[in-house]
Amino acid sequence: MSEYARMKFYCDDERCIECNGCSVACDEAHELPVGISRRKVITLNEGIFGKEFSTSVACMHCTDAPCEQVCPVDCFYIREDGIVLHDKNTCIGCGYCLYACPFGAPQFPKDGAFGTRGVMDKCTMCAGGPEETNSAKERELYGQNRIAEGKVPMCAAMCSTKALVVGDEQEVSKVYRERVASRGKGVQSAPYGWSTAYKN
Amino acid sequence: MTNHLGDIQNAKAIIIFGANPAVNHPVGFGHFLKAKERNNAQIIVVDPRMTKTAAKADLYAQIRPGTDIPFMYGMLHLIFKNGWHKKEFIKDRVFGMDEVMKEAEKWTPEKTADVTGVSKELIIQITTAYAKATPGTLIWAMGLTQHTIGSSNTRLAPIVQLALGNMGEEGGGTNILRGHDNVQGATDMCCLSHTLPGYYGLSKGSWGYFAKSWGVDFDWLKGRFQDEKMMSTKGYTLAKWYSGVLAGKPGEDKIHGTPLKALFVMGNGITSISQQAKVKEALDNLELIVLADPFVNEAAILTDKQDDVFILPAATQFETSGSVTATNRSAQWRSKVVDPMYESKTDHEIMFDLAKKLGFYDEYVKGMLMKENKKEFTFPEDATDEIARIIKTIGLTGWTAERLKKHQENWHMFDEVSLRGFGPMKGEYYGLPWPCWTEGHSGSPVLYDIHRPVKEGGMGFRNRFGLEHDGVDLLAGKGSAPAHSANKDGYAEITAKNIEEVLGITLTADEKAKIGKNWKVDTSNIIAEKCMEAGIAPYGNAKARAKVWTFPDPIPMHREPLHSPRPDLVKEYPTYADKPNHYRTDTKYASVQNEKDWSKEFPINLITGRLVNLNGAGMENRASKYLAKLTPDMFCDIHPDLAYEHGIRNGRMMWIHSPEGTKIKVKAKFSYSVGSDRVFIPFHFAGVFQGKDLSDRYPEGTAPYSTGESANTVTNYGYDIITQIPETKGGLCRIEKA
Repeated sequence: MSEYARMKFYCDDERCIECNGCSVACDEAHELPVGISRRKVITLNEGIFGKEFSTSVACMHCTDAPCEQVCPVDCFYIREDGIVLHDKNTCIGCGYCLYACPFGAPQFPKDGAFGTRGVMDKCTMCAGGPEETNSAKERELYGQNRIAEGKVPMCAAMCSTKALVVGDEQEVSKVYRERVASRGKGVQSAPYGWSTAYKN
Repeated sequence: MTNHLGDIQNAKAIIIFGANPAVNHPVGFGHFLKAKERNNAQIIVVDPRMTKTAAKADLYAQIRPGTDIPFMYGMLHLIFKNGWHKKEFIKDRVFGMDEVMKEAEKWTPEKTADVTGVSKELIIQITTAYAKATPGTLIWAMGLTQHTIGSSNTRLAPIVQLALGNMGEEGGGTNILRGHDNVQGATDMCCLSHTLPGYYGLSKGSWGYFAKSWGVDFDWLKGRFQDEKMMSTKGYTLAKWYSGVLAGKPGEDKIHGTPLKALFVMGNGITSISQQAKVKEALDNLELIVLADPFVNEAAILTDKQDDVFILPAATQFETSGSVTATNRSAQWRSKVVDPMYESKTDHEIMFDLAKKLGFYDEYVKGMLMKENKKEFTFPEDATDEIARIIKTIGLTGWTAERLKKHQENWHMFDEVSLRGFGPMKGEYYGLPWPCWTEGHSGSPVLYDIHRPVKEGGMGFRNRFGLEHDGVDLLAGKGSAPAHSANKDGYAEITAKNIEEVLGITLTADEKAKIGKNWKVDTSNIIAEKCMEAGIAPYGNAKARAKVWTFPDPIPMHREPLHSPRPDLVKEYPTYADKPNHYRTDTKYASVQNEKDWSKEFPINLITGRLVNLNGAGMENRASKYLAKLTPDMFCDIHPDLAYEHGIRNGRMMWIHSPEGTKIKVKAKFSYSVGSDRVFIPFHFAGVFQGKDLSDRYPEGTAPYSTGESANTVTNYGYDIITQIPETKGGLCRIEKA
């Protein structure tokens, strides 16, 4: 990884086939409650030829993260590599971050008859949280810390068609650029979600 | 599969009939997407449903279920008319194409459009795109095979490829996607009732070869059967074993032979087989049911039978080792990750224990000791070596445990697209795709490829059906032998008699003494070794048969499904006459089709298929909460227009009624993927039967996270004329609001 590493997700909708490998891998890896979906696959225009497309969405780890800006208790922090994390011990579960997030990433436990309560949970890009790295407590609150072990986040590692790419933005851009050049058509100005998430 | 998944990246066009690899082979589908991305290949999908695969296609035809033959003849009509066929290839390497041409003449775009429901413009567009982009690969799966005419479907698809000269080419071929891990291996090893392992027939000669190879007396083998006739008689099939139990009951198909009393199931989801109501009745009437599975086999839940039903905990693949065969005929060694957990046992332990109890353990394992004349065997290595020693027909000689393990250990040393090895694996293809003729052979990544020498995986078509038919030479034409061959033309399969003549060699007296009668039974492997040196394929070099003179339809012909929505076409393309003694049971065709106009009472086409998160009967996946949450309920994809007609709302319950008199209650899911003349249901659910919840029957702690009606409770009667595969992809139903 270069000195200026800036971690980003990118889902190539030309390749995403809605297999849900990413979301199931995430659920399993972090042993999430069934009501929590850190990563989801969204399909638009299902069943209509020529118009159906799918993409995988989780926390985009925004540069200028709206969740961080609106949080009344300042539980968010952004690592040097750009990964957006939060402290569950500080979070009060108010849900402001959910309203602010353009991607619907923040998740809340769905228990009992009265809907959602409890502190927020979201994609950590498999980088754990503020507790001691790879401690039992970190694992319990935030799931695996694969980044600390030098591993790729579980979702991208399991992606069946390698539609979902994650890593240093320069590497991700390189993969995407190669694919676009190879296809020789359908060049987008930016991949889905990038212009919202990554402002610079 | 003639080629392999990586080779799909070499294709310039990909046409897919009745397969949904984006859902059923998500990792393999990556190669399709790369072909599109890197090779500008067009993906063409022909399917009754706008699948996830079709979502990635350039062209898509929504075909009426069961009309693949008309569609392919419609393509052939245009191919021949426009002269897009490869004339030299057909002349030298194909037998009987002239009759196909004659039949194709009838299938004009107008006619094809009427039968298939696809517009003539689209048929022309698809055919033009596919025929002009070579090499083109043709893909299929169960959507093509599970019909009364499934065997004809699977013959006409290769005929399209032969006509275009796409066989034996990188980026071409007929690539059939196997539905589960090791299905190819299970077939090769004969989880079938009509052959011995390696597709050896049931003749006395074949039994004799196996008796010798297993080191047992032929008469002892014979003594294990009721009589010698039973040895050479086909058994029941998985599709219709229930008939064997229900034998003789009024209204049931007659059987030929003795009725079944006991059932031993090892890892087969029999709750995902058509005619579930019959399967249930058969289970209820058995004297003994044994189910060996890592999860509860839901046959135990389906049956009302309370006594003499045994559920044995079998180990998973992670708790044992051995080779499995991939869809492309490659072997892959698998290592044990953990010891079997709790009281579970591996499949082979269960079988060894059974053989001991039944008193033939010594004979059962003897084949594993013979290669090195040992006292003790090591499982599974010695079993793998036994397979390599005996199976010549498909060329497994080179599949020794040692070689397969080396491939596993070096799997980073192979190229993804060509399968070619590097470094220590140089000169070999990954997994040694069969035929792998000798212990030094490279494996054959592309079948029928004459551009490379035999010892590097080249070969022509097999000489299997004699030297001539109706005065036409069945051997390949001049100059169409594999590269660097001692014999440039067609030649017969190699026997002890013709080896010297065909190869142009002289055998020593010692070799003559050791050599087997022909390449299929030559345990000395002298024939194969000599053939490699001379560049000769041991199985000969002949023409591919477009015409099979022993089949009911010598060239593939369209016949309407037994339950067709088009009574006018039933008259024009009627099904077969009822077939007596088809795998020991009388099987109905015309009598069902002509019973009444089914379409009046059951006007909607019923299609079944898979979901990405579940597979087979679904028990092991539904036992995972994360997989179950993606599809918590059994559902039916229904077009909103059709739903409206019946007052069915999205997310509400509906009934699906079958011509069999059965019904299922499922959740309606509005979808544009189906037209308003058809509905789709997935087949992975069990635990609910005709509206009745059976979930209280699961042993404590074993109930899956989701249960639901089995689609196969309402799939219709109908079986293929050759293979007896059930017609699950072309039936009818009636729907109503629940």
